[in-house]
Amino acid sequence: MKLFKLPTRTWALAGFGLALCALCLSPSAAVRAQTPQATPPPPAPPRSVQFPKPVEKTLPNGLRVIVIDRPGTPLVTAQLVIKNGGEVDPPELAGLGNMLADLVTKGTEKRSATQIAEEIEALGGTLYSSARWDSSRIGVDVISPKIAPAIDILADVVRRPTFTAEEIDRLRQQTLDDLTVELGEPGSIARYVASRVIFGDAPYGQPLAGTTETITRISRDSFLKYHQRWYRPDNAILVMGGDIRSRNAFALAERYFGDWKKPVVSLPVLPAPKPVASVGPRVVVVDKPDAGQAAVLVARSGIERSNPDYYRGLVANSVLSGYSGRLNQEIRIKRGLSYGAGSQLDTRRNVGPFVASAQTKNQSAAQVAELLLGEVSRLATAPVPDVELNPRKAVVVGNFARGLETNSGLVAQVASLATYGINFDEINRYIGNVQNIRASDVQEFAGSHLDAKTTSIVIVGNAKDFLTELRQKYEQVEVIPMAELDLNSALLRKKQPTAQ
Amino acid sequence: MKQRKLGALLIVVVTLMCLSTYTRNSIAQVSMPRINFQEKTLPNGMRILSAVDHSSPTVAIQVWYHVGSKDDPAGRSGFAHLFEHIMFKATRNMKSEMMDRLTEDVGGFNNAFTNPDVTVYYEVVPSNYLETLLWAEADRLSGLTVDEANFKSERSVVQEEYRQSYLAPPYGMLDYLIEQQSFTTHPYKRPTIGSIEDLDAASLENVRAFHQTFYRPDNATLVVVGDFDTKQLDAWAVKYLAPIPKPAIPLPRVDVKEPERTAERRITHHAANVPLPAIALTFLTPSEKSSDSEPLQVAATILGEGDSSRLYKSLIYEQQVAQSADAITDLREDAGVFYLNVVLASEKKPEDVERALLAEIKKIQDSPVSAAELNKAKNQLVTNELRQRETSNGRALALGEAAVLLGDPNRVNTDLAKLQAVSAADVQRVMKKYFTANNRLVIYYLPEPPKTAALSSVPSARKGGR
Repeated sequence: MKLFKLPTRTWALAGFGLALCALCLSPSAAVRAQTPQATPPPPAPPRSVQFPKPVEKTLPNGLRVIVIDRPGTPLVTAQLVIKNGGEVDPPELAGLGNMLADLVTKGTEKRSATQIAEEIEALGGTLYSSARWDSSRIGVDVISPKIAPAIDILADVVRRPTFTAEEIDRLRQQTLDDLTVELGEPGSIARYVASRVIFGDAPYGQPLAGTTETITRISRDSFLKYHQRWYRPDNAILVMGGDIRSRNAFALAERYFGDWKKPVVSLPVLPAPKPVASVGPRVVVVDKPDAGQAAVLVARSGIERSNPDYYRGLVANSVLSGYSGRLNQEIRIKRGLSYGAGSQLDTRRNVGPFVASAQTKNQSAAQVAELLLGEVSRLATAPVPDVELNPRKAVVVGNFARGLETNSGLVAQVASLATYGINFDEINRYIGNVQNIRASDVQEFAGSHLDAKTTSIVIVGNAKDFLTELRQKYEQVEVIPMAELDLNSALLRKKQPTAQ
Repeated sequence: MKQRKLGALLIVVVTLMCLSTYTRNSIAQVSMPRINFQEKTLPNGMRILSAVDHSSPTVAIQVWYHVGSKDDPAGRSGFAHLFEHIMFKATRNMKSEMMDRLTEDVGGFNNAFTNPDVTVYYEVVPSNYLETLLWAEADRLSGLTVDEANFKSERSVVQEEYRQSYLAPPYGMLDYLIEQQSFTTHPYKRPTIGSIEDLDAASLENVRAFHQTFYRPDNATLVVVGDFDTKQLDAWAVKYLAPIPKPAIPLPRVDVKEPERTAERRITHHAANVPLPAIALTFLTPSEKSSDSEPLQVAATILGEGDSSRLYKSLIYEQQVAQSADAITDLREDAGVFYLNVVLASEKKPEDVERALLAEIKKIQDSPVSAAELNKAKNQLVTNELRQRETSNGRALALGEAAVLLGDPNRVNTDLAKLQAVSAADVQRVMKKYFTANNRLVIYYLPEPPKTAALSSVPSARKGGR
């Protein structure tokens, strides 16, 4: 059942990386002392910690190999990163990169789909693959004594997939069924709609997993071309982390990827991104009468990963998001309107989205939209008091450090830095960079990048329960019945809009 | 979305944790790091398990209360889980949400979950905060002072959790039905999340009574794993936890036995928002303490784990009749349930998919699994457990589970041997024993027929028990 498949790390993120006494609220100040038992004892002096340092080399074919040697638990994660993902899907073939990442594991010159699954699982390992924005990731998680056969399989699927017609047909049908299920979930629909609202017909506006129309259109030839164009050693990074010595890791990389030939034609150069067109804020309602709860999003463009305001953005987002962030404070803790409200500043190669969201009963959807937008707006209007800002910075640092504690988390972090060409020294500068952010930085960031007046609203739910209230607050509300929703274009509807 | 106090959401994940625990044996050419723990019990009955690990300057603190949704008061399904949320509100010396000030604000985190058998609270903090958190856990064990406004607000949060987990996702209500319909008599028949109506009926008086009845030192196990000094921990335990009195009244325990099933039962449920029809088969299994648990875990892995599993290969890959297919052994303290759960591929008939599922069951009953399949399943189980134990919080969960649910903390280090000993014949035996027609519940979960007025909205299919 789906619950079973919840990744354990959503709740088992344990440990921490370092102690942060400079940032701590003094707990003894939080409650007035009456008896010695009435106040919490103050913390002892903190201990510090070192992060493991990645080492790297580039093979003659251009493949960048990065190793993080961390003995301990006998596990290794190896991930092959292709430095492009859904953003290079042709618009009429949205979902191509994602389907291809899946398809490479369904048969190679040496192994059938069944053999691939049986071989990796016999090792106790897992093989995963997907495209995301800006990269595709194919990886194996395995106990350390089995890393060599696991890398053999990884290299095989990346380099020699066969894309047989039979596997394409099978995967196409599965992908279409998966889409059907995904579009039964208000939250998924809302996220797809928000991408179109923010980015229009630009690449990040496309549904990463495609639509019924685009998935139906993808041919074997499309896969061959995409694979030939993007899956090449000089557009790839191999990251290995965990219980593995770097010398062994580099040797494995040589053995399984050393003879991966770089094509003679040079890597395609992508056109410079156009600035995100400001189409003005939209208020979009997808009417899904059978929705058991409404998904409410406020969304706008944010920043790119290379933006010098990156750390300001991280801290600004943390003031809004997280358990004790302002959104959850206002929506869950104070008003009981949701199981959880939060936001995400998703920084990508080009300008990515900022989305604040919550799910709530249909009747309170309009109220929650207003609260979300109100908190985004408030961030720009007044500085965050230090007594609030310092704990939120501690949250950013704590999450970062905990993220490095599991092998998969460590590799994901390093792979992400590598994807965006960021120096690994950043790992050790991270904490200082966060600590240096001041209240004025957050306010300036919110003013220049999170203007609530140009932020859109998306609600997917049973419209009759909240539409009247929503229309009282916003003049232009686009209402799209679920059956007429079309994610293929920024227009979002199958028919021409009729007069409201 | 960042969630906390996931409660019911975590039930099945925790079941997965039950899968196996190991020691230095090397089933997959790898040694499972041993958890060297200390055990002691305070005079008031509170048990303390601790394991030192200085690899990171953090510490995981968990308090396991041996009370779960099976202990929900009459007419109050969902109460144990609601109560878990209330434990983050005001206590004798802490304002509401102060736990967050002591954890999140210093770069750590906290959370809790409720399942049918236990309620577990946990924090991971920089290790210099250990004493502070022991004080805080002692304080909320000593007494709650939550007011009406906070209680009602948190109850609304739990109702939103119900909607988010069961009403919004397409197959949430199928999960609910599996939980609710698999038992007829034992209080396990009340899903942990409860029902909106029963939650509405819950009162502050219920909170006081529940705390008094179940939140007592002799019903609690403290687990501490990470960077600390054992002597220091013992001294703090004496200072903060030992003074909490043990009540004189006895602890109530559920002693209802779920009767054996004597005939196949079939349910057809029509619901809104069913993108593709689904079916589920459930079978009752014994307590997780039974020696059949390990073969059942191996069987579930062979049937459902990964793209080389039997259900994936047969139903999804070869016959292409399923969009997803899972095999879960939900192990519990009093009685378990093993279920197979399939979302159909488009344009397939539930009757045909049921036949295909039954054929897979017959196959694993009729002939023993191969040595390769058996080893593969064991390797998958070992690797999952290793991942589980990468963090101090994961190790603490494994230790708490062995102590509280399996009845012996040493099982955290010894259960691997049991798993290793599982033979093909064991797997065949448990499949024959439990996967019988008489022990079968079949659920068809179908879209509402067009143009039919909603007969019953999904959540009230049957109210939360009693």
